[in-house]
Amino acid sequence: MDFELPAEHRMIRDTVREFCQEEIAPIAQEIEDEHRFPQEVFDQLADLDVMGVPVSEEYGGLGGDQLMYALVTEELGRVSGGIGLSYAAHVSLASKPIEMFGTEEQKAEWLAPLASGDAMGAWALTEPGSGSDASDMDTMAERDGDEYVLNGTKQFITNASVAGSVLVKAVTEPGAGYDGISTFIVDPEDDGFEVTTVWDKMGLNCSPTCEIALDDVRVPEDRLLGEEGEGWEQTKKTLDGGRISIAALSTGLAQGAYDHAKEYAGEREQFGQPISKFDAIRDKIVDMHRKVESARLLTHKAAWTYDQGNEVNRESALAKLDASEAARENAEDAVQVLGGYGYTTDFAPQRFYRDAKLMEIGEGTSEIQHLVIGRQLGL
Amino acid sequence: MKVLVTVKEVAEVEDDFEIDGTGVDDRYLEYDLNEWDDYAVEEAVQLQEAGDDIEVVSVTIGPERAEETIRMALAKGVDRAIRVWDDALDQDLLDTATKARVFRAVVEEEEPDLILTGVQAGDDAFGATGVALAESVGQEWAAVVNQLDIDHLLAENVARVHRELEGGVEELTDVELPAVLTIQTGINEPRYASLRGIRQAQSKEIAPKTLADLGLEAGDVESSLFLTEMYEPESESDATLFEGSAEETAAELASVLREKGVGAE
Ligand SMILES: Cc1cc2nc3c(=O)[nH]c(=O)nc-3n(C[C@H](O)[C@H](O)[C@H](O)COP(=O)(O)OP(=O)(O)OC[C@H]3O[C@@H](n4cnc5c(N)ncnc54)[C@H](O)[C@@H]3O)c2cc1C
Repeated sequence: MDFELPAEHRMIRDTVREFCQEEIAPIAQEIEDEHRFPQEVFDQLADLDVMGVPVSEEYGGLGGDQLMYALVTEELGRVSGGIGLSYAAHVSLASKPIEMFGTEEQKAEWLAPLASGDAMGAWALTEPGSGSDASDMDTMAERDGDEYVLNGTKQFITNASVAGSVLVKAVTEPGAGYDGISTFIVDPEDDGFEVTTVWDKMGLNCSPTCEIALDDVRVPEDRLLGEEGEGWEQTKKTLDGGRISIAALSTGLAQGAYDHAKEYAGEREQFGQPISKFDAIRDKIVDMHRKVESARLLTHKAAWTYDQGNEVNRESALAKLDASEAARENAEDAVQVLGGYGYTTDFAPQRFYRDAKLMEIGEGTSEIQHLVIGRQLGL
Repeated sequence: MKVLVTVKEVAEVEDDFEIDGTGVDDRYLEYDLNEWDDYAVEEAVQLQEAGDDIEVVSVTIGPERAEETIRMALAKGVDRAIRVWDDALDQDLLDTATKARVFRAVVEEEEPDLILTGVQAGDDAFGATGVALAESVGQEWAAVVNQLDIDHLLAENVARVHRELEGGVEELTDVELPAVLTIQTGINEPRYASLRGIRQAQSKEIAPKTLADLGLEAGDVESSLFLTEMYEPESESDATLFEGSAEETAAELASVLREKGVGAE
């Protein structure tokens, strides 16, 4: 067994890390305060070939593996949860399904601009009335000649307001349950597509989270991804990969929170000594370190399993469950280590705390991860 | 046209460290591409992008560990690299003349039209290798270059350079090729390697060369400098605090700077 990263992966991680430190860290709080999607950062990431890391070179991606993608996502999370979330949604949820299930024509038209970073992608499953029970959706797609007509509302869709394409899940066969769901590639320019809300959130405010109304949106039949009725199977596969990216993002948040706490604890003096010399603070920081390491190991194991082409449902759920808890706990501990300063927006830990909480909710809540893992354990 | 860029992997010392013999304990060191070399590489790659058929070759003296750092230069657009290493080079300190001898052998083999080096290396800071190399190969040189007119160089085969002198004075010099330029930080804005560049760099050549490959012997690299001791000097700091309005304190600061001779007359 070899725990050493390949040289290529290390170089990529280090370069992205340097970029994040120099270009993102200085504005990370500002874009949160302004609730501003930083297009300029994504343009730079596109120039560096970051936007399509695990997409094949044939379609303009980098042709890297899931492990490389996890490393990059972790680095983004280490400085900005919001940029990391928009990135992970763009890659895992919006790009990979087109690569996995699309036709050559669809890949050329819709995947290539995502992989090169010319456009952002979004993925719309959740609805106001269906979250964890995602297959119980109300959005309908009715066939009309060589078109489909989409009607419904999608909720909490990352990137929808800045996207060049949105993958929309809709029911094509009412009453058929899981087998009645299909996926459509929708262009936000299509008539009847409207972003009705961009939510103000507890954190991650540089990543737009949108409500979408679909009102008689007509799409040609070649916008159907895969076959009719395959939408749910596609969703499960998509989330297997997506959860690895949320695990990686969470590992980054956990690491970032740890970095801030460790640095501060070495400098801040009380009772005549650095606070890191008090057992209580030292133990906290050691535990933070332990959580980062185990979250990363589970994440890399899930990514590795994915890259072997093996079933990864349990591994990715486990990694996401563990890493998202690590992120939230480390962020909370980082606030505590910084004391009153940790509670102010002049210091980063509060931002990590706000951002980390979502990791236990998005792409399946922690309760749902338990359900998925329990099922895999035969419980 | 061929451009040769000398690059070096340097050790960077953490804020808190311990000295071990005549060096800094390895636990406190991180290895990276020398900062000045990063600018030299960028300048060479910009030249390559502006011209036709320009090959950029990097050369380093360093152990196998240095390959990863050198590969960063390849990722940024350098075409291929040469890494010179030999047991005889594994010394505490390689003096400038020794390094110049090794590089001269490479220059004789490669016959570049232009050689770029960093002004200095961040670790041992001799600041002399580039100039010593120019002397050794009998070429013209310009040191501490902070601006190079790339169009002029491509059109006229002459390096029109700005050099930074003491007290903020600048000098404009024309140097005919072949020549050696030592590159100052700030001459350009070094790019980040693109991820595709990093992937492609994995299969670019880093040719290992021993002294024998270059027609040299152990006797040619006997350094005449030896490290005898490494210690932390006693430090003292002397701070003056100005109090008052911005106008008053700025004026006080200006007069102190004038007294100390900072800035051009
Ligand atoms: C910032 C953000 C970005 C998002 N991005 C996207 C996106 O890009 N695309 C997209 O489609 N969706 C997105 N979502 C939606 C997200 O996936 C859902 O919010 C999530 O799946 C939970 O659904 P819900 O909010 O409806 O909560 P509910 O499903 O109503 O859950 C409420 C609570 O009940 C618990 N619960 C529900 N069912 C069970 C059960 N069977 N057993 C035990 N407990 C249960 C849950 O765990 C939770 O604690 C995003 C959400 C946010 C906040």
